[in-house]
Amino acid sequence: MNIRCFQRNFSAAFPPLVPLQLPSPMETHLWYILPDEVKNSALLNQYSELLSPCERESVSRMRGDQLKKRALLARALVRTTIARYQTNCQMNPRSLRFRKNLYGKPEVEWRNEDNFNPPPLHFNISHTSAMIACGVTVNVPIGIDIEEKQRRTKNNIIAFAQRYFSPYEVKVLTAISDPEVQRQEFIKLWTLKEAYVKALGKGFSAVPFKTFTIRFRDTTMRNFHPPESSVSEESDIVVESSEDPTDPANNWRCALLEVAGSHYGAICMEKDRIAGENAPPKLTVWKTVPFVEDVCVSGTDAVLVLGGIIEQ
Amino acid sequence: MASSTALSFNFSTLSTHFKQNQAPLRGICNVNSVSLPSRGIRPGSFRRLRVSCAAKPQTLDKVCGIVRKQLALPADSSITGESKFTALGADSLDTVEIVMGLEEEFGISVEEENAQNIVTVQDAADLIEKLVEQKAA
Repeated sequence: MNIRCFQRNFSAAFPPLVPLQLPSPMETHLWYILPDEVKNSALLNQYSELLSPCERESVSRMRGDQLKKRALLARALVRTTIARYQTNCQMNPRSLRFRKNLYGKPEVEWRNEDNFNPPPLHFNISHTSAMIACGVTVNVPIGIDIEEKQRRTKNNIIAFAQRYFSPYEVKVLTAISDPEVQRQEFIKLWTLKEAYVKALGKGFSAVPFKTFTIRFRDTTMRNFHPPESSVSEESDIVVESSEDPTDPANNWRCALLEVAGSHYGAICMEKDRIAGENAPPKLTVWKTVPFVEDVCVSGTDAVLVLGGIIEQ
Repeated sequence: MASSTALSFNFSTLSTHFKQNQAPLRGICNVNSVSLPSRGIRPGSFRRLRVSCAAKPQTLDKVCGIVRKQLALPADSSITGESKFTALGADSLDTVEIVMGLEEEFGISVEEENAQNIVTVQDAADLIEKLVEQKAA
């Protein structure tokens, strides 16, 4: 019998996490925390109990309380999010172990126990000073990146783009005459490029930003959709690798969102060849304060799809 | 919804018995990599002690200045060579901007592979000196 089943109520102080089914293939779950909504010190204490000693140490090394809090919430979000996905029975967020792959991308280290089949779960996190987000998929790797919409660069945008982006992207940005719109498009492009590199999971030096191009491509897709789902009529987002133009990186799907009215969020995931490419990928988004409140915000104003064929 | 706090959360209680090793490496030059046999461990396994050739203080100061500006850190916040970029709150966009600022300040070009290995302020300063040297050669 799986020992894990007996850990259902591992802490009397914690209400259990609401268990969830794993996302289906080509579905993304996105969870986010707004740190400003988490002020209760007892709650923060409980979150810190979830962390490994190593993680606690990392948190303590962050400079200043705000950064410490952010680091703490990021680990708490990852642990509680993954623990929600029931396999045979509830997983204890505290007992999850993590490691980094060969290139430094964090992943869950499932332990080899009898009768325990690790779920084919992939995750990736990103954070800003005002939001921490965790994306979850099955079977395929995922990368996410969030940025505050108001983020300003210290450097001139075109100079920055010329240094780091691909020629096509520089052209697109240069063509934008309104500086504010240019800045916004720059941030969107940045998040998409980051998400792609993080999804690949091979480290930034393996895929320098200059070696691939993100393009918005208009599509004339027609699908039937039930009235309650919202579908983006915007462009599809494609990734083209300049290293190998004969084989554009069309194994990867990207989507661009506006989240909570304050952030741009980019999601990049590998296409699941088994699941097929016909159905548009689905997205479900929750705003959470782990153990306190989960609110599904898909289809509300909190989540707007700005690009990429994705369904909420 | 989380209710307001009665007392503030004490983040310093999170740390265990961790003492930061702040041994300065200045004055130790010409040693890039030293292999030391470790005691009592399986034969054939060595502990590798990596001693970087430390950058000049002026370089380090300039780097600290650029980092401070990019991250909008208060003037009295302490930044040393041992400071990690992530611990100072730099995200990936900040790091890339810092690298760009360093390139402009020192007239060098940093390849992506090298940029990825920059973890501390000292790493950045050391890399700059190396590149400046290579450029002069």
